[in-house]
Amino acid sequence: MTVLRRLGLAFIGVLLAGILLFMYINSGAQQAASYIESRDLIRLLKQQDAIWDNEILKSRIALTHNYDPLVSPLHEMARLWQRLDAIEAEPGRHGPSLWEAQRDEYLKLVKEKTRLVEQFKSHNAVLRNSLAFLPTGEDDIQGQFARLPDTYRLELQNVAIDTYDLLLSSMEFAQLSSPDIAAEVLLGLNQLEVNKERLPEGLLNSVEVLRRHIGVILREQPKVNELLTGIEMVPLADRLDTITNLLEKDQAKAAAKYERNHVYLLVFATLLVLILIWLGIRLIRSFAEIKRVNNALQTANDELEQRVEERTRQLKDTQSELMDTARQAGMAEIATNVLHNVGNVLNSVNISADLVSRKLRSSKALGLGKAMQLINEHTDDLGHFLTEDAKGKLLPGYLNQLVEAIASEQQSLTDELAQLSKSVDHIKDIVATQQSYAGANSLLEPLVVSELLEDALRMNSGALTRHHVTVIKEYGDVPRIMGDKHRLLLILINLISNAKYAMAGVSNHARNMTLKADVVDGETLQISVKDEGEGIPEENMTRIFAHGFTTRKEGHGFGLHSCALAAIEMNGHLTAHSEGPGKGATFQLQVPLKLAEGEP
Amino acid sequence: MALHGLTLALGLLVGMSVAAHAAPLDEPLKPLPPIPTLDPKRVQLGLRLFNDPRLSVNNTLSCASCHRLDKGGADDKPFSLGFDGKPVEVNTPTVFNAGLNFHQFWDGRVDTLEEQVHIVVTSPAEMGSTWESVVKRIADDPGYAKDFNDAYPDGVTKPNIQGALADYERTLQTPNSRFDQYLLGNTDALTPREKFGYQRFKEYGCIACHQGVNIGGNMFQKFGIMGDYFVDRGNPTRADEGRFNITGDENDHQVFKVPSLRNVAVTAPYFHDGSAPTLERAVEVMFKYQLGREPLKNDTTLIVEFLKTLTGEWEGKPL
Repeated sequence: MTVLRRLGLAFIGVLLAGILLFMYINSGAQQAASYIESRDLIRLLKQQDAIWDNEILKSRIALTHNYDPLVSPLHEMARLWQRLDAIEAEPGRHGPSLWEAQRDEYLKLVKEKTRLVEQFKSHNAVLRNSLAFLPTGEDDIQGQFARLPDTYRLELQNVAIDTYDLLLSSMEFAQLSSPDIAAEVLLGLNQLEVNKERLPEGLLNSVEVLRRHIGVILREQPKVNELLTGIEMVPLADRLDTITNLLEKDQAKAAAKYERNHVYLLVFATLLVLILIWLGIRLIRSFAEIKRVNNALQTANDELEQRVEERTRQLKDTQSELMDTARQAGMAEIATNVLHNVGNVLNSVNISADLVSRKLRSSKALGLGKAMQLINEHTDDLGHFLTEDAKGKLLPGYLNQLVEAIASEQQSLTDELAQLSKSVDHIKDIVATQQSYAGANSLLEPLVVSELLEDALRMNSGALTRHHVTVIKEYGDVPRIMGDKHRLLLILINLISNAKYAMAGVSNHARNMTLKADVVDGETLQISVKDEGEGIPEENMTRIFAHGFTTRKEGHGFGLHSCALAAIEMNGHLTAHSEGPGKGATFQLQVPLKLAEGEP
Repeated sequence: MALHGLTLALGLLVGMSVAAHAAPLDEPLKPLPPIPTLDPKRVQLGLRLFNDPRLSVNNTLSCASCHRLDKGGADDKPFSLGFDGKPVEVNTPTVFNAGLNFHQFWDGRVDTLEEQVHIVVTSPAEMGSTWESVVKRIADDPGYAKDFNDAYPDGVTKPNIQGALADYERTLQTPNSRFDQYLLGNTDALTPREKFGYQRFKEYGCIACHQGVNIGGNMFQKFGIMGDYFVDRGNPTRADEGRFNITGDENDHQVFKVPSLRNVAVTAPYFHDGSAPTLERAVEVMFKYQLGREPLKNDTTLIVEFLKTLTGEWEGKPL
């Protein structure tokens, strides 16, 4: 629909432009120019015609004897006419055959006038010649008269007078060719004819010549006059005026057409301009439309953005919620972890406390009481008692033994309490570690790896002893390092504990656990715990470090998970290796080696 | 601009007159105009064509056969012979200064030299040819074809052949006759007798017809105004009717174009019928039949002497 409309519009536009172009080409500026030229040519033609007429009259009154000027205007006129005809014969300048009619008429008139002028020239030349001769001829005759003898002269007086009269009337006739004068001349001629017979031989000839010339005048003068009238009657100038009228009329028509064309031109141009304006308005409108759509799009976009933002915000909220949840979960995990580790240590605490309490319960200090009771019974004779009495004599020895026993007991208790205190410290550290999980970086301190291993072993010593696990220590030459004691300890305790559990079901061979500590390539500390227990099946290999994975009934599935996390937190990693079920497993911790200050 | 040119022309004239130590005379006779400047290629072609017998049907006649430039531009016969060896109807007029005649031929049947060429080439009594064959002969000549193509955009055509010949003929003027020198102000160019002769020429009325630039050649006139020449001569022919044969007008019986008197001394015999073998005879005939006068003793001689001063030059040499 739109395409059709546009095509239609384009068609109208092209059509209008075409019409405008056509009209422009048709518009008669050229016509006007050639009209002016034609008018000029006609003016020149009339001028030449007038010159021609003028020259004819000059010849008529014998002002000139040169007939060239009676020929040359004709050449000039032919040339001018050719130019005029070339302009006006162009199709479309005049109505059909109008110009042709004028041309034919003009050419006919020119031909007629030329014919008359040619005749005029011929007759006029003859007439002029005879007229010019008249006085000479007369002089000739009068001269001869004069030479005649007097008697003869008197006799011929009348003849001389008659001849003179004839001459006069001939000249009068040359001026005014009326029939009266013609008759007079004719009469004179007849008179001369009569007189001739009386004339002497010599004179006769002269009179005859004069007579013939007068005869010529009589013949040629009316002829010349008639021709002049004829020439004058040739309406050549009128024809040229007619042609001028035709040109004027057609020019007026052309001008009217031109004007009309102008009006059309104006109308069509206006239409074209209107279409252009309309198109302009359409364009502006479409711009407005585009702008509006753009705005709508912008608004939609903004809305969308807002919605996206909102959605993002919601997602963020969700995410933070999730994170909170995760954090809580993590905290739970950490709590579990801590509790698990605390549990492990508490086990040691429990054992130590049990041991102390058992030791205290069976303390030899009670013997001191009994000894004191004996002393108290013999306060008066204490010396006697100690020296004399059988029992008393034993008492110092007993007291000495007791002192030794108490001293040993005290030593044992002190050791046990020190162990207990260590365990409590460990618990405190675990808790502190848990707090460090909340964000604090791990705390690096100078460590001796073997001591660390011993600590870990000691913390599990009770269980290891109970489970009859033999610990094989293969400690390499490891320098003092800067390390996160609690994370390392956590990992080691867990690994040792796991190894111990793994070997719980082993009965067919010795329960050996191998601890190794080495420096690999001078930049990695590698600690491995190897057991000879149940091993890890292939399918579990990838899952053992996952949170919540356990093979034990009472297990939480946090041990290895937390160990792996801790290893990663130390920029290290924890790997497991097993040949398969029943073939034991090796856990290997690798952390970057960071030497403590003062180490080489 | 025109005024400027006029001033220049006047200046030139003044310069010339200073050189001649006199102003031009104002006479009914006029000196020859300058030779028109035309395309030299066309004129050259015209010259070749003028001398080319291929224009005639049987390759016997060229224009120059009758219009011999060494014989005053005509021949010395009363009637030239056509291609078939038969004499033509009228005496051959000179080709010199023919371009200045207002009509061509004795009877003035055409206005232009181009038309004159056409009439002569196709006349059964003269060259007897057709344009078809003439154009073919010329076009078949490689030299002509090349030169025509050089000179005319459309090569060898009938109008171009006519044009070339006409252009050449327009250059055939015979300037610098002693009388022209006299007219231009050199009054010493004529002897007193010749001046008397000129004076008689005017007095007796010869001037009535023989005037203008070409001393004739600008009007028609009846041969035999004062007497019937043909009756006196005898054996009237069709050609004696002159212009009547063309117009059929009763007024035109025995009317002919007044011939130019330039080079008249070298173009005998005279009149359309070649009936006057000498200039003296021709002048006598003119006196009797045209002027109706009897010249005084010696006047004919004087006039003839004057007429001999009208002989001009061709290619720098007197004719």
